[in-house]
Amino acid sequence: MATHEAALRTHDAAHARAAEGSGVLAWLTTVDHKRIGILYGSTAFAFLLIGGLEALLIRTQLLRPHMGVVSAQTYNALFTMHGTTMIFLAVMPLNAAFFNYIVPLMIGARDVAFPRLNALSYWIFLAGALFLNASFLVGTPPDAGWFGYANLTTRPFSPGPNVDFWLLSLQVLGASSVIAAVNFIVTILNMRAPGMTLMRMPLFVWMTLVTQFLIVLAFPSVTVGLIFLMFDRFLGTHFYDVAAGGDLHLWQHLFWIFGHPEVYILILPAFGIVSEVLPTFSRKPLFGAPVVIYSGVLIGFFGFGVWSHHMFAVGMGPVADAAFSIATMLIAVPTGVKIFNWLATMWGGRIRPTVAFHYAAGLVALFTIGGLSGVMHASPPVDLQQHDSYFVVAHMHYVLIGGSLIGIFAGLYYWWPKMTGRMLDERLGRLQFWLVVLGFNVAFFPQHFLGALGMPRRIYTYGVGSGWELWNLVSSVGAYVLGIGVLLFVLIAARSLRSGPRAPADPWDARTLEWRTSSPPPVHDFDAIPPVYGRDSFWREKYGDARGRKPAPRPETPDPHGIHLPSPSFWPVVIALGIGTAAVGALLHTALVVIGAGITVVGAFAFALQHHRDPAHVVQIGNLGVDHRKLAMWVFLGSECFFFGTLIATYIAYKGRSVVGPLPHEILNIPLTTLSTFDLLMSSLLMVLALAAVQRDDRAQSRLWLAGTALFGLIFLGFQAYEFTHFVHEGLTLQSNLFGSTFFVLTGFHGGHVTLGVLWLLALLVLDLRGRLAVSDSIKVEVAALYWHFVDIVWIVIFTLVYLLP
Amino acid sequence: MSTLHAHSDFARAILHVYGIITWTTALIGVLVFVVLGIIIVRFRARPGDTELPSQTRGHTVLEIGWTIGPALALLIIAIPTIQIVFRTQTAATPPDSLQVTVRGLQWWWEFRYPQLEVVTANELHLPAGRRVALRLDGPDVIHSFWVPGLGGKRDVIPGRLNQITLVPEGPGEYWGQCAEFCGASHANMGMRVVVQPPEEFDRWVAQQKAEPGEPAGAAATGKTIFAGSACVGCHTIRGVSAGVLGPDLTHFGSRSRLAAGMWPNTPQNVAEWVKDPQRLKPGVKMPTLGLSDEQATAVAAYLTGLK
Repeated sequence: MATHEAALRTHDAAHARAAEGSGVLAWLTTVDHKRIGILYGSTAFAFLLIGGLEALLIRTQLLRPHMGVVSAQTYNALFTMHGTTMIFLAVMPLNAAFFNYIVPLMIGARDVAFPRLNALSYWIFLAGALFLNASFLVGTPPDAGWFGYANLTTRPFSPGPNVDFWLLSLQVLGASSVIAAVNFIVTILNMRAPGMTLMRMPLFVWMTLVTQFLIVLAFPSVTVGLIFLMFDRFLGTHFYDVAAGGDLHLWQHLFWIFGHPEVYILILPAFGIVSEVLPTFSRKPLFGAPVVIYSGVLIGFFGFGVWSHHMFAVGMGPVADAAFSIATMLIAVPTGVKIFNWLATMWGGRIRPTVAFHYAAGLVALFTIGGLSGVMHASPPVDLQQHDSYFVVAHMHYVLIGGSLIGIFAGLYYWWPKMTGRMLDERLGRLQFWLVVLGFNVAFFPQHFLGALGMPRRIYTYGVGSGWELWNLVSSVGAYVLGIGVLLFVLIAARSLRSGPRAPADPWDARTLEWRTSSPPPVHDFDAIPPVYGRDSFWREKYGDARGRKPAPRPETPDPHGIHLPSPSFWPVVIALGIGTAAVGALLHTALVVIGAGITVVGAFAFALQHHRDPAHVVQIGNLGVDHRKLAMWVFLGSECFFFGTLIATYIAYKGRSVVGPLPHEILNIPLTTLSTFDLLMSSLLMVLALAAVQRDDRAQSRLWLAGTALFGLIFLGFQAYEFTHFVHEGLTLQSNLFGSTFFVLTGFHGGHVTLGVLWLLALLVLDLRGRLAVSDSIKVEVAALYWHFVDIVWIVIFTLVYLLP
Repeated sequence: MSTLHAHSDFARAILHVYGIITWTTALIGVLVFVVLGIIIVRFRARPGDTELPSQTRGHTVLEIGWTIGPALALLIIAIPTIQIVFRTQTAATPPDSLQVTVRGLQWWWEFRYPQLEVVTANELHLPAGRRVALRLDGPDVIHSFWVPGLGGKRDVIPGRLNQITLVPEGPGEYWGQCAEFCGASHANMGMRVVVQPPEEFDRWVAQQKAEPGEPAGAAATGKTIFAGSACVGCHTIRGVSAGVLGPDLTHFGSRSRLAAGMWPNTPQNVAEWVKDPQRLKPGVKMPTLGLSDEQATAVAAYLTGLK
């Protein structure tokens, strides 16, 4: 085992940076992916307990008919907050904890592509989470459901600030998720250790990658839906106003185009965890690994085409119902393939039934139940009897507890030793597992019966003689047991941290790279970037391939650039504080919004300058041969396509539905806008010249063309300002009709993008004027140029579809 | 109100697919559980067992098999599903059907029979054996009309007209409830559906069309209080008032439940209700009128007497 020991050697690298500080300030400014992972994990677990407490209050209220534990309003707030908390503040960030801590280790990287951006994601998440829960402190928690169906959420039907807390925090949380997703896509695609081809990546990394793409592409839709709602509530637009011609299907489509992929965002990471845990404890490779990967990708892909199965009762007509029904059933195929491959992985193994294995096998069993009940309501006729009944509550908890949470527990028991350097108590862990699994099944299996007996969801009370008394009682008792099980984990974790046995580097005799470094890993993860010999590389080093042939040990090449780690930054906290302040301001006073926005902008500039002076990585070109920043911009622009796509689609869907004027053909000035379109197109040309000048180090020209591009951008904004003013004089405002609402929001957001682009160009110009824009910085201009061209292309689409189409 | 007992052609069609799907999925579930059970018993490492198992990485035929197998199983489900989707959803209203306009409001139901010129609330009467077209419409937020015994739910969406057509079978009483969260008292938005033999239904129609009798005694006092208070702003009692915001009370006494299905319609309950509706039904739009006990009792006597 000599090579084994050598493989695990670490810590003694002379050039390793000194250990990080441990004070509050060190944690506030940390950019270490492991610490951010721990921050995510501990925050999310706290919210899991809060969400669980909300659930127990709900179950107590439903324990018997006519209970008066909470009022109707409080009950409605509890289920709204329970859903929102569990999805956005518990399961997603618990997954994020593993993405952060484990993914870089698994791919043999020293950190993520953008460590400071990573910290920013966490702090924005925390700001959003605290803001959402602050609603309890002021006595107005959101109470219109986690799905916030308009028009119940519009001002006439929800006058209080309750829904405002919900819609503002969801936007903040969405920003955090998208930033993190861009970061992890770049990290996974670009920062793999040499030899780690895509098909050699561990399943958890693969499922993380698919999840991040889902986040990037699904969140814009709900963001736009929330923006419409925010404008309706604060500025009097008419997106969800039936009297003005608004269509209430709009919110449901926008919400579920996000909401269904969100289900896979919650569950795919758990699938990834199980695909790591089962092979390790069966001591066999994952059966059919490529098939498991492809099926995960297919689930993600199909996940975008099934949203309307949440809407079988809204009356879309038989053709749409049939199409979405078949698409939904199709998802069962790749999901089934995963289940069968997991079974085949265990088959013929030498199973070591650790707690982590218990949980992983538990997922296979419980998710199967949730998956099959999902197939049941993929059939619209059956769904019409199950939709919005307790049958769906049962289904969804079998997926989200039986799948996601059980998977997360598998991951916690599996990676805890790596993350803390301590072992967990296996004996108590087994007790904890059985409490969770028994409590869960007793709580949720009877809810299938309640649904079949016609009990609707979201009712705070029910009558004697409804026939629902017995199963509600059983369900509540199960929920308490489940609660005790989850709490017991806190005890087990605390005991481990205090006095658990020290964990060796590789306690489970595992297969992937994270076990090749110490537990916990040093601040720089690996002394030398580990060699990759194939799928399950570390296992191959220890045991060889299927025939026991070990790879010839490859010498660990010392990093040619030395170990470079990004320095801590307090700007992420500042930016998050600015965003939080702006959100509070939206409810209190506009001045506070301005202050918050100011802090955010200043923070963002400082953040960018810090990157300019002290980049996180010496080498930014990765496996794909593309600069991290350029790749990140491409991914972000993908997200932007969906953002503008949704805005434009809404404009088109609402075209001709305005009940009063002015109408587009009466007011749009095509000749003038042709001019401004031409101006914006020309700015793209100047942008090309500017980039070329920077690349050949032609200072005079680069300054000229950068200034020119910004100027043309300003001219475009001038045209827009004139147009808007003119329209307002003609009687078209945000509030006048659906045309006004859709037109101003669409073109306004485009104008906002142009403004941001101009600020960006001016910042580059200032750097250039101060002689700080070297040829090596041309990538920064290139990234700005990508953004600028994108914004121009979007305008061409808007100009064609809004102005030119009759 | 079980979803597993069908009392209309619509519910029966659903139950048919429901059965096929339940048995197909249950079979697959049992299969997975049996295999998992075998694995956990048979392949558990024995103490001292350090030998590595065979490092199988995959099997193409198996992979193809368990891709195609479930796809075929899905066909068993998909074919009847699609047939019934198209059979149970008709855009047009069948011409010979009894039309009922169902309006969902925060938090009660209104039923209008345009062909019969009858308006009632929270209690839907239907003739057995005749095709009914329920046309769903609402003025405020989204609700969902769901009477499990008569079939699946359909949302009541302001600005969009939805429809359920069905033939109720045999006489019976069914409980229904709003299934789409619609605000504070979503839980208190129930309804009773009474399916009657045609002759009995005709009698009910005749009764609903008749003018209510003139009250006497305490009920007469009640009528005076009703007519002189804010009640008339929201409620219609033919010959007395013409409010449209709340339920039509012309034949209130003929209904067996009060406040969208919450309590039995007894004078005592009605008196409690008119005294403080907010306490009994959170968020309800009906204001507290500040009636004394005697006044409330009189109004209750009047209302429950409106047969």
